[in-house]
Amino acid sequence: MTKLPLARLVLLALRQLWRDTRAGELHVLFAALVIAVAASTAIGYFSGRLNDAMQLRATEFLGADLVLRGSAPTVPAQIDAGLAAGLDHARTVEFSSVVATDETLQLSSVKAADAAYPLRGELRSAAEPFGPETAGGGPAPGEAWAEARLFTVLGLSIGDHIEVGRKPLRLTRVLTYEPDRVGDFYSLTPRVLMNLDDLPDTGVIQPGSRVRYRDLWRGSPSALQAYRSQVEPSLEAHQRLETAEDGNRQIGNALGRAERYLNLASLAAILLAGMAVALSANRFANRRLDASALLRCLGLTRRDVMVLYMLQLGVLGLCASLVGAGLGWLTQLGLFGVLDGLIVQTIPSGSLWPALAGIATGLVALAGFALPPLAALGRVPPLRVLRRDLLPVPPSSWVIYGAALLALALIMWRLSLDLKITLALLAGGLVAVVLLGGALMLALKGLRRLLAGAPLPWRLGLGQLLRHPLAAAGQSLAFGLILLAMALVALLRGELLDTWQDQLPDNAPNHFVLNVLPADVEAFGARVSALSDFAAPLYPVVPGRLTAINGEPVRELVSKDTRGDRATRRDLSLTWAAGLPDGNRVVAGHWWDEDAESTAPGVSVESELAESLNLQLGDRLTFSVGGLERDARVTNLREVDWDSFQPNFYMIFEPGTLQDIPATYMTSFHAPAGSEQALVDLARAFPSITLLQVEALLAQLRGIIAQVSLAVECVLLFVLAAGLAVLFAGLQATLDERIRQGALLRALGARRDLLVRARRTEFGLLGASSGLLAAIGCEAVSALLYRFAFDLEWHPHPWLLLLPLLGALLVGGAGVIGTRRALNATPLGVLRES
Amino acid sequence: MTAILSARNLNKVVPSAEGALQILSDLTLTLDKGDSLAIVGTSGSGKSTLLGLLAGLDLPSSGEVSLAGHSLTGLNEDQRAQLRAEHVGFVFQSFQLLDSLDALENVMLPLELEGATDARQRASALLERVGLSARLHHYPRQLSGGEQQRVALARAFAADPDVLFADEPTGNLDSQTGAHITDLLFELNRERGTTLVLVTHDERLARRCERQLRLEAGRVVEAEAVQ
Repeated sequence: MTKLPLARLVLLALRQLWRDTRAGELHVLFAALVIAVAASTAIGYFSGRLNDAMQLRATEFLGADLVLRGSAPTVPAQIDAGLAAGLDHARTVEFSSVVATDETLQLSSVKAADAAYPLRGELRSAAEPFGPETAGGGPAPGEAWAEARLFTVLGLSIGDHIEVGRKPLRLTRVLTYEPDRVGDFYSLTPRVLMNLDDLPDTGVIQPGSRVRYRDLWRGSPSALQAYRSQVEPSLEAHQRLETAEDGNRQIGNALGRAERYLNLASLAAILLAGMAVALSANRFANRRLDASALLRCLGLTRRDVMVLYMLQLGVLGLCASLVGAGLGWLTQLGLFGVLDGLIVQTIPSGSLWPALAGIATGLVALAGFALPPLAALGRVPPLRVLRRDLLPVPPSSWVIYGAALLALALIMWRLSLDLKITLALLAGGLVAVVLLGGALMLALKGLRRLLAGAPLPWRLGLGQLLRHPLAAAGQSLAFGLILLAMALVALLRGELLDTWQDQLPDNAPNHFVLNVLPADVEAFGARVSALSDFAAPLYPVVPGRLTAINGEPVRELVSKDTRGDRATRRDLSLTWAAGLPDGNRVVAGHWWDEDAESTAPGVSVESELAESLNLQLGDRLTFSVGGLERDARVTNLREVDWDSFQPNFYMIFEPGTLQDIPATYMTSFHAPAGSEQALVDLARAFPSITLLQVEALLAQLRGIIAQVSLAVECVLLFVLAAGLAVLFAGLQATLDERIRQGALLRALGARRDLLVRARRTEFGLLGASSGLLAAIGCEAVSALLYRFAFDLEWHPHPWLLLLPLLGALLVGGAGVIGTRRALNATPLGVLRES
Repeated sequence: MTAILSARNLNKVVPSAEGALQILSDLTLTLDKGDSLAIVGTSGSGKSTLLGLLAGLDLPSSGEVSLAGHSLTGLNEDQRAQLRAEHVGFVFQSFQLLDSLDALENVMLPLELEGATDARQRASALLERVGLSARLHHYPRQLSGGEQQRVALARAFAADPDVLFADEPTGNLDSQTGAHITDLLFELNRERGTTLVLVTHDERLARRCERQLRLEAGRVVEAEAVQ
C-alpha cells in the first residue's frame, strides 16, 4: 500500500464518525459545541439587530439618515448627486421671523418643509392646544401648524390666520412634536411649521438673512456612503453633514453598557463551552489511544492518524456549528418575537454574518481546545498494542496552553471586547489560576496528614482527590471557574438592571420647561411643586458662545467634527450655581466655596468637553454673552450624568459672574398621569414658557431597557447551560476510572451506600472548594470590571459566600448523578473489560 | 525458498534506574514463507520485545531486521507503518477490537484502509469462516472472549498478510476456547500460506509451530524444529 489517498481517509473518517456517533461517544462534545456556537450566534444577532434598531431610532432624531445643513441653499449638483444615488430627499428651511396677527406680533422660529418631510419619524399634532396627539401629516400649502405657546401668547384658536412675512396662513393644527427637534430644546421662540411651497410668497428670505437650509436624505447604507463620499469634497465652509451618530446619549449609554455585558456574558458562555469542548475532546483522545495504536499497526502513518481524527472532529464541529448557528438564530428570533409589543419600529433582519461568525467561533474553540489532545493521538507509539502502559510523548505544555490562549484571544477579539479589559481579564485569570491553584495544592497536601484517622467514606472520597493532587486542584479550579463565570454573569445582570431602574425611576422628569421669566420664578416654582412630586431646581440660562481660550480664538484650536467643534459653533446654555447640581461629580479641581472671595470668576466645565477642547484647570475662557465679552477661569471639571433627564450644562459659572445679563430660567419635572389640564393651566398662567414633553422619549428608553434586560437574561441562560455542559463533561472525563474503581471496591465487598457516601464526600468537598475559589475570584474580577468596563460603583457582595454551599450542592449533585453508572455497572463486567 | 523475515545480531538495551538494561542479546533468526515460529519463555524473558522488533513496532539498539525483502534499519516510523500495512497482520492477547465498531466493521477496517471496494463481502466471508456469521453486528462488549478473538483473527487475515504476528493469542481464554482459536489460527495459516510468528506461554500451542525459540533473560537458550 502506498500513501493513503485523502479521499479514502475522508470516507473512513465519515464512517468512523457515524459509528462513534451511533455508539453515543460524542454527545457531550457535540452539545458543548452547539452551546458555544448558539450563544455566540444569538448574541451576535441580538446585539447587531438591536444596534440597527437603535440606529434607526437615532435617525429619527435627525428626521433622516443623513442631513446636509448649510446657511445658504444647497447647490443643485449636491442635490443631483443624492438623487442619482437613489436616495429619498426632503428639504426644510428654518429662519426667525415675526409672526403677525391683526393685533399683535411674536418673534417665532419658522420651519418651511416640503411634503416629504420628515423622512424618519413622524410629526405629531393635536386638534387643539394640549389636546390628544395624532401622528403623521404636515401643513398643506396655505396652512400653518404652530406650537401651543404661540396660540397662548397671541390668543389664537384653530382656524385663525397669521402672517409670515407677506403670506397669510391659516392655522390648522397644534404642532406637538418634530422628530428632529428633540436635541434643540433651547430655541427660545415658538415654532411655526409651514409648507415650503409658500416660502417664496412670504418674501422673508433676503440676501443676508440668517437661514438654516437642511437637505434630508434617506436610503441604503451603501447609497448613503456613496453620496457622502461624493459630496464631502464639495462641502462649502458653511455646510455640514450630520449623521445619526450624533444620536441620543441616554440610549447610547444604556446600550453601550448592555453591549459590553452581552459580549462579556457570551465570552463566559463560550469559555465555559470551550472548557467542555476541551474536556470532552480530551476524553475523545484518551479513548482513542488504543485505536490509534492499532491503526498504526494496521499501517496508518502518523499523519494519517492525525488527519483521520481531525477530519472526524472537523466534520463533527461543522455539523455542531451549523446546528448551533440555527439554534442561535431561532433564539434571537424568539426573543424579538417576545419583544414585538415593545418595539415600535420593525427591526431590520440581521445578515448572515453573526451566524458565520458564530460558526467560526465554534471551530476556533474546537481547534484551540481539541487540537492539543488530538495531536497526542498522532504520537501514540504503535508498540502500545503490546504494552498498554505506553503513553504518547506529551506535547510541550506551551503548545497546549498556547493553542487554547490563541483561541481565547481570537474569540475575545471577535467579540470586540476592549483590548485593555481583555488583556486584564486574561492576565488576571492566569494569575488567579496559578495563585489559587498553588494554594489548593498546598491545602490538599496538608489534608493528607489529617486524613489517616478519618472514617472510610472520607478516606475513600478524599483519597481519590489526594491521590492526584494536581488533577484534583485542576478539577477544583475548573469547577471554580465555572461557578465564577456563572456568578459573575448573574451578579452583573442584577447590577445592570438595578442601575437602569435607578436611571429611569418611575418619577423621572417627563417635562422640560424653558423660558421662565425671572419675575415669574417664585410663582412658577410654587405651581410646579404643587403639580409634581419631583421637580429639578430652576436654573438661570443665558445663551453665550465660547470665543477664546487663553486669548486664542477658539475656532483655530478645535478640530473638525469633535464635541468641542460642535459646542463652539453654537450658543451654549450658560448657567450659574452656588452648589454642585445632582448627578454631577467634580473630577478635577474644587467646587467653589460660597463664602470665598476669588479674584477671577470661576467656571466649571463638563469633563468630556474639556477633554475635547484640551482645557486645563486655570485656563482663561472668553465668552460672548449678550454682545459682551466675559472672562472666566476654569476652576473645576465635572462629570455629568446625561441620562438623568434633568437640566445639564456644559458650563456652570460661579454665582455673580453673569447676574447682570438678562436670563430666563429652566427646569424639569415629573407630572403624574392625568395632569393634562393642570399643564394647560400652567402654560396659560405663564405664557412665556416653553413646555416640552419627553414622555415619548422616556417610553422609548424604557422599551429599550426592557429589551436589553431580556437579552441579558437570555444570555444568562446560555451561560448556565454552558456551565452545566462543562460540569458533565468534566465528570464524564473521570468516569472510566471511577467505574473501574467502583467495580473493584464492590468486588472487594464494599456496599453500595459506602460508595455513594464516598462519592458525596468527594464531590461535595470538590464543589465547596470550587465555590470558595469562585467567591474570591468573583469579587476580584467584578471589582475590576465595574471600575473599567461598566462604570459602576463596586461594593462587596456578601451573598457570594453562599457559593461554597451552592458549589457543594451543584457539583456534589451532578457528581453523584453523573457517575451513577459507576455504581450501577456490574463489577464482573467492568473488571473483565479492563 | 526466500526468507520473508530475518533478524541478525539483534540487541535491545533500555535505560533503567540501575543503569542500562539488556533486554535482548545478539539474536539471529530467519523465517521462510509459510514457516511458523513460536517464541517461548518466562515472563520478562524478552518475548514481546522480540515480537515488537520483528514486526517493526520498535527499533533494535543494534542489529538488523528485514521484512519481505526490506531492511527496517533506516526506515522511519511512517515508512515502517507502510510496510506493516502491506505485509503484516496482528493478533493480540487483549484482542484490541475497537469498541465503537461492530464485529463486521472491525474486520472491514484494514480492507477499508486498503481501499477495497468489496470490503463488506470479504469481511462477511471471513467472519463466516471463523463461525461468526450470526454475530456480524454485535459490538465487542456483546461478544465473549473467544468470539472477540475470532473477530481479531478474521481481521488479521483480512488483508492477506505475508506474516502474522500473534502475541499470546490464547492468553486471555480458557483452555477449550483457546484450543478452538489455535485450530482456527493454524487452519487459516495453512489455507493462506502465511508465515506465523507467535509469542506464547502455552506449551501445547508452541508445539504446533514448526519451530520454537526459547528465550531466557534475552538470550536464545534453545531453538528446535518440531516434527
